Amino acid sequence: MSLRKTSPFLWFILPAVLVITAVIVFPWAFTLWMSLFEWKIGHKAVFAGLGNYTELMGNRRFLESVAHTLIFTALAVAAPLVLGTAAALVFNQKFFMRGFLRGAFVLPMMATPVAIALIWTMMFHPQQGVLNYLLSLLGVGPSEWVYSPRLAIACLVMVDVWQWTPLVMLIVLGGLASLPADPFEAAHMEGASRWQTLRYVTLPLLMPFIMVAAVVRLIDALKTFDTIYVITQGGPGTASETINLYLYLQAFSFYQIGKASAVVVVFFVLVVALSYLLFWLREKSKYYE
Amino acid sequence: MNAKLKKLADRALLGLCVLLLVSPAISVFLWMLSLAFKNDVDNLAYPPVFIPHPPTFNNFKVVFASGPFFQYLINSLVVSGCATLTALLVGVPAGYGIARMKARKLMMTILIARMTPAISFLIPLFTLFQLLGLTGTLTAVVITHLVITVPITVYIVAGYFETLPHELEEAAYVDGCSPWQRFRYIALPLARPGITVAAILAFIFSWNNFIFGAVLAGRETRTLPVAIYNVLTFEQIAWGPLAAAALLVTLPVLLLTLFIQKEIVGGLTAGGVKGG
Amino acid sequence: MAAVTLSGIEKSFGPTHVIKGVDITIADGEFAVFVGPSGCGKSTLLRIIAGLDDPSGGNIRIGEQVVNDLPPKERGVSMVFQTYALYPHMTVEANMGFGLMIAGESQTTIAGKVAAAARMLGLGELLARLPRQLSGGQRQRVAMGRAMVRDPQVFLFDEPLSNLDAKLRVQMRTEIRSLHQRLKTTSIYVTHDQIEAMTMADRIVVLRDGRVEQMGSPAELYDRPCNTFVAGFIGSPAMNLIAAHVDLTWAIVDFGGEVGLADDLRTAPGQRLTLGLRPEHLRVLPADAPGIPCVVEVLEFSGADTLISCAPLDAGKATAVGSNQIQALVHDRLAVKVGERISLGIAPELVHVFDAASGERL
Repeated sequence: MSLRKTSPFLWFILPAVLVITAVIVFPWAFTLWMSLFEWKIGHKAVFAGLGNYTELMGNRRFLESVAHTLIFTALAVAAPLVLGTAAALVFNQKFFMRGFLRGAFVLPMMATPVAIALIWTMMFHPQQGVLNYLLSLLGVGPSEWVYSPRLAIACLVMVDVWQWTPLVMLIVLGGLASLPADPFEAAHMEGASRWQTLRYVTLPLLMPFIMVAAVVRLIDALKTFDTIYVITQGGPGTASETINLYLYLQAFSFYQIGKASAVVVVFFVLVVALSYLLFWLREKSKYYE
Repeated sequence: MNAKLKKLADRALLGLCVLLLVSPAISVFLWMLSLAFKNDVDNLAYPPVFIPHPPTFNNFKVVFASGPFFQYLINSLVVSGCATLTALLVGVPAGYGIARMKARKLMMTILIARMTPAISFLIPLFTLFQLLGLTGTLTAVVITHLVITVPITVYIVAGYFETLPHELEEAAYVDGCSPWQRFRYIALPLARPGITVAAILAFIFSWNNFIFGAVLAGRETRTLPVAIYNVLTFEQIAWGPLAAAALLVTLPVLLLTLFIQKEIVGGLTAGGVKGG
Repeated sequence: MAAVTLSGIEKSFGPTHVIKGVDITIADGEFAVFVGPSGCGKSTLLRIIAGLDDPSGGNIRIGEQVVNDLPPKERGVSMVFQTYALYPHMTVEANMGFGLMIAGESQTTIAGKVAAAARMLGLGELLARLPRQLSGGQRQRVAMGRAMVRDPQVFLFDEPLSNLDAKLRVQMRTEIRSLHQRLKTTSIYVTHDQIEAMTMADRIVVLRDGRVEQMGSPAELYDRPCNTFVAGFIGSPAMNLIAAHVDLTWAIVDFGGEVGLADDLRTAPGQRLTLGLRPEHLRVLPADAPGIPCVVEVLEFSGADTLISCAPLDAGKATAVGSNQIQALVHDRLAVKVGERISLGIAPELVHVFDAASGERL
């Protein structure tokens, strides 16, 4: 389409640009600004320069929340990637009622997180919860699940994996479906076993898509809030407090807007840094233009 | 003979894998149903009772009695409806403009919106609404929900417009159509499937949202996810009503998903695969 | 190195009967071409020989062995796909060595075999490249190299040149042919392009609708097509097929005029015929000479030849089998002009005569 000096399409994007400026760009600028102040709601704002940031770097609770976030994210990205890819390979085969079953498999990621988190809370209950009952059927003793500081994060990862593996599966499945058929025929002709085909042909060809899923998963895992808030509130104690939870506390329990803004900025830097890492990995895995 | 046996073993293995994958997904929902329809006695029983006998609607009655449930329902509908509608009005033309202008930079900005945790928008917006006296109003909630609905609408719609062949619009251009006319009469009707998917996904994600409502809404203006969370904290753990409430909140979304799952899958994978 | 024998091959996809009883024998070291229009089953046949599909009936023998139940790897066949089917994420060297690697051969053996094949195909410089960095012709050669490296008994080619531009196609045809002369491996080549068939084959198998119409050397098919289908299919520009009826030793052409028939032809008086006249055999004669009178409609000059398309004098006459024109190919620069009346003549022994009803050669 020919673009004259100012593209006529500019008018099309103008309303959206206005909205985005208002609800995204403006808050962002505001956050950056606010992070330089000490400001508790109801009090006066005092300029503090980089004071908030230096304080954060020495703040034990914050640093622990960073650790929790990294652990949670690492697990919540790795597990769905593996399971989701396996699921995609399975759902790529034809079988009876495949469409319906795929729809059922996809339900967890569309359901309201808060509602699901409530059900999981009930399932995790040490005395009444159904999970301990199932464990007892297997002959394993009851677990404290989310009431144990050691296990809390693992349990939350389990819920996250349950909920978001379908998204990974969909992305990888889309990739699988778009792969050309004939390298596989050629491999069959050359006598590659199923395992060899998977290892040398399928997985390398799928890598770009798996990386896309990894990036999506990374960002979503870092942003996880609803499930953690409902199930553990960051506990027991602060055992499962991620940066997001810590942020919420600072902003809406303690009303420390200045400090919270600083946390937001640090968090964003972390998100961007990790995303860049994955983007770079993705570029390396690309074998097409 | 050997080949036939192998084929059978393959099918069995496949079936097992499917079972292993799908059963955890469905089990939780089935358990939710079970909890919601069991009476108190069954719910407190251990070992847990799986099939309620007899099933009861009592829990639902409790839910409706314990608070203005219909008010919350209306709130959710209004918030998600308005946020989605606005996103469509603003986002569909924007998606078209971005696709035709090939403005990848703008897309990056939108992606950044997706990358930031919701709270980052919430803090400044909350502060602003406090100053304006808008905290507790539905308007405030709707405005914050635009953070959810607009980016995903633009993203999916732009991706969809990019797949429409240029030739149709170029032919119209040669015939003398203005960009607006090309958009309105040619691109828009063709993009209806993509727009539908975007609208549904935007609505679902807005409906599911908890944190914006949690911070900004007042008692009267809560959306459903916020409302049921409060059921948890302020009442004793009565599992039946809790499960019933959870079921009611998530049911519309689940039904939407089941009916339109094929299109949703298409919309999500198109967005996901195309440059993540 | 082995002969390939197909006996009684049948293939159905559900209710669709695609291959309807095919018997073909290809000798050891022969370059056989399966040719036919789209949907005739040639690719299906190739895939059955390769082991990618199973026949619904019949036997495939490679060498002395019946291979029906063997997977492709154990049949000793290698295939070059239409879309090359290269592994996009592997280098040329890895692509060519993949089959050997999964068979468990040692690194040194693989490297040696790959290098040898690469040398033969002129790929030596490209071993470290990825498929996306190669041109169409280069990818073609890598596909062939991959097939060669496994030293198969039979090479299978599935329309390998159809994705190349015309000039490259001509070049690759020669290369494949010379490669065959060097390696002498039995090859089966599928194409829809009869020029490829004619120029490359030792033996051509013409297929239509799941059945073999005719098998033979290119010369046999050119000189003695056994029915109107093969006659019209082989040869470019296509043979003129026109309707006529017998009158003593002449064929009275519906188009107009008459054509002399050979003496040894056995026909019944008044029998309806389809005459096959190759454009290159028709001679342009003055308008009053005996032959087929017509009017010049289109002249296509291509440097070496001129293709003259002629219409009947009487526009209302029912003319050819499916076309209202007769085409003649002349090598000399003639002073014919559009609209001019001429007569077309042909030597009786060059006329192909088919029964109009059955299409069979008489």
